[in-house]
Amino acid sequence: MSRREGINSDQDNTFFKNKEEYMRRLGRGICIIVILSLVFFAFGCAKKKIEQAGEVTPPSEQKEVGPPSEMGMNMPGAEGGVQATPQGGAQGSAVSADIAAFEKDDIFFDYDKASIRPDDRKILSQKAAFLNAHPQMNVKIEGYCDERGTSEYNLALGERRAKAAQDYLVFLGIKPDRVSIVSYGEENPLDPGHNEEAWAKNRRAHFVITE
Amino acid sequence: MKKIIALIVIISAIFPALARAERVHIDVEAREFKRLKVAMPAFGGARALADSVWAICAKDLEISGAFSLINPKGYINPGPMSKVEPGTLHNWSLIGADYVIAARVDAQDQLVNLVIQVVELSTSRILINTAYTTKRETAYRAVHAFMDNFLGKALGIDPLFSTKFVAVQKTGKKKQLYTVWCDGTGGSPIKGGGDLILDPAWSPDGKKIAFVSYWRNNPDLYLLDIPTFEVDVISAHKGINTTPSFDSTGRKIACTLSKDGDPEIYIVDVASRNPLRLTSSWAIDTSPCFSPDGSKVVFCSSRGGNPQIYLMDIASRKTDRLTFQGTYNSEPVFSPKRDLIAFIYLSDHDRQYHIALIRPDGTGMKVLPGTGRGDESPTFSPDGRLIAFSSSDGNIYVTDLIGSFTARVTSGGGFSQPCWSRPLE
Repeated sequence: MSRREGINSDQDNTFFKNKEEYMRRLGRGICIIVILSLVFFAFGCAKKKIEQAGEVTPPSEQKEVGPPSEMGMNMPGAEGGVQATPQGGAQGSAVSADIAAFEKDDIFFDYDKASIRPDDRKILSQKAAFLNAHPQMNVKIEGYCDERGTSEYNLALGERRAKAAQDYLVFLGIKPDRVSIVSYGEENPLDPGHNEEAWAKNRRAHFVITE
Repeated sequence: MKKIIALIVIISAIFPALARAERVHIDVEAREFKRLKVAMPAFGGARALADSVWAICAKDLEISGAFSLINPKGYINPGPMSKVEPGTLHNWSLIGADYVIAARVDAQDQLVNLVIQVVELSTSRILINTAYTTKRETAYRAVHAFMDNFLGKALGIDPLFSTKFVAVQKTGKKKQLYTVWCDGTGGSPIKGGGDLILDPAWSPDGKKIAFVSYWRNNPDLYLLDIPTFEVDVISAHKGINTTPSFDSTGRKIACTLSKDGDPEIYIVDVASRNPLRLTSSWAIDTSPCFSPDGSKVVFCSSRGGNPQIYLMDIASRKTDRLTFQGTYNSEPVFSPKRDLIAFIYLSDHDRQYHIALIRPDGTGMKVLPGTGRGDESPTFSPDGRLIAFSSSDGNIYVTDLIGSFTARVTSGGGFSQPCWSRPLE
């Protein structure tokens, strides 16, 4: 079972998977740039034709700003995005089922709030019990918001929701270094709807076993 | 007698509250900028090409915020018209035009020739008489050059159509960077950088874009060098690293980091990557933006119980709350040219998010109509005359400071979080 589930496995991903491809693309890019420069030069000479009475401004330059769209950004650390969620392949199927059960239950939040609802404390206690029973496993808590409000604020709010869940697990005795958090704000909603029912589902913290 | 006194007390208590509520929606201060009226009959030359160039000109007149196109249905000569005939000037004055534009568009192999004239009717003077030659697939660049020339000659306004937006484009489940000229022409994605990219910000020199990516499964800050498309990490601390915004020198980035436990405002030195913490509240502090002189930072904080706009003097850390109207005010941005802040305001009236404006002293708040369907992410034009934003339909729109028009820039949807560049070379 591949653990490289992350960004690199995507088919139409434009990152360079190895050095050869990088060099090949770089070569292609240089060719394009050289050709474009020649074309610009030729056009530059061909320009300036019709001018009449009145003031004259030079013809517009055709330089497009921005990287050629056929090439991708060259991100730092080509190994980025590899620390994806394992799917429990190495574990026995009984444990996999336990992990699936653990990850199934989200906790939910009130609008613009990041406090744990009293009825969600039971779910968090169950999660703490699971983590106590499986000391080799760690958990990542993902914080989410509904679509209302600005995405910038929601990224911060999502983090506070994940943090509230983290704090509660730590309060229940889980070591802080076993609980990581990440905010997705209003991205990746559970329910894509635009009504209170959907929003209520999307204001959540989701728990993922990482190791 | 006691009843009367009680009544007076109640009325005087209610009245200021009423007055404050009113002030927001009635714009008494803004004097309507008189848009200059332009007559522009159909262009001469190659028919389909001439019509497509005419359509870009018409859209740019609208987006300019400075001109308004007189409806061609009322023209005495609807065109095609390649040149302004001196004997016909009276006809254009008659329908109220300040300027008349005539042009001829011809294709030559892979090139396009645009020969365009502008006559100022008040003086009967030829204001512009210029030929532009461009590649056929970028014919809009000829229109951009012409429009910037026209804005400068007629009104002394800075170049507008040599500016671009960088925005987030959603395609399928991916969110990636996208750049487009400010009138919606020449849009192109910037590929790579991960499947979830947010919060793009253009550096003042137009050569770099700061953005948030989940490339390493955490919202970290990156800096793209556009000429080389090399990407560097700006900030990848534990927790969120979001909402980058450059100062006017390009040497500092204001942003939100939660490395110390909760979201706070920081200034990151671009050269050293060292973060300087500005805020320390238990609440959410996010969406910072520098004042044009770099001495202040405006940001959003929930320290008062819900998101409101605050202004901090960086040297003294003295912080003032600017907004008191409404329960949700966020994403403040400073005008690069004047004492004005745009932000997102949740209206009590229609329960929609609108663009609103306020002065840095907390006075003069006004709400712009926008699309009326939920607007987000305001960004000023480099000359501060216009504001672009994204709406709930996933398109980018442009409006002016009094909301006299709202023009759609993109089509097709999927766009959010536009950031307006300075004029690009």
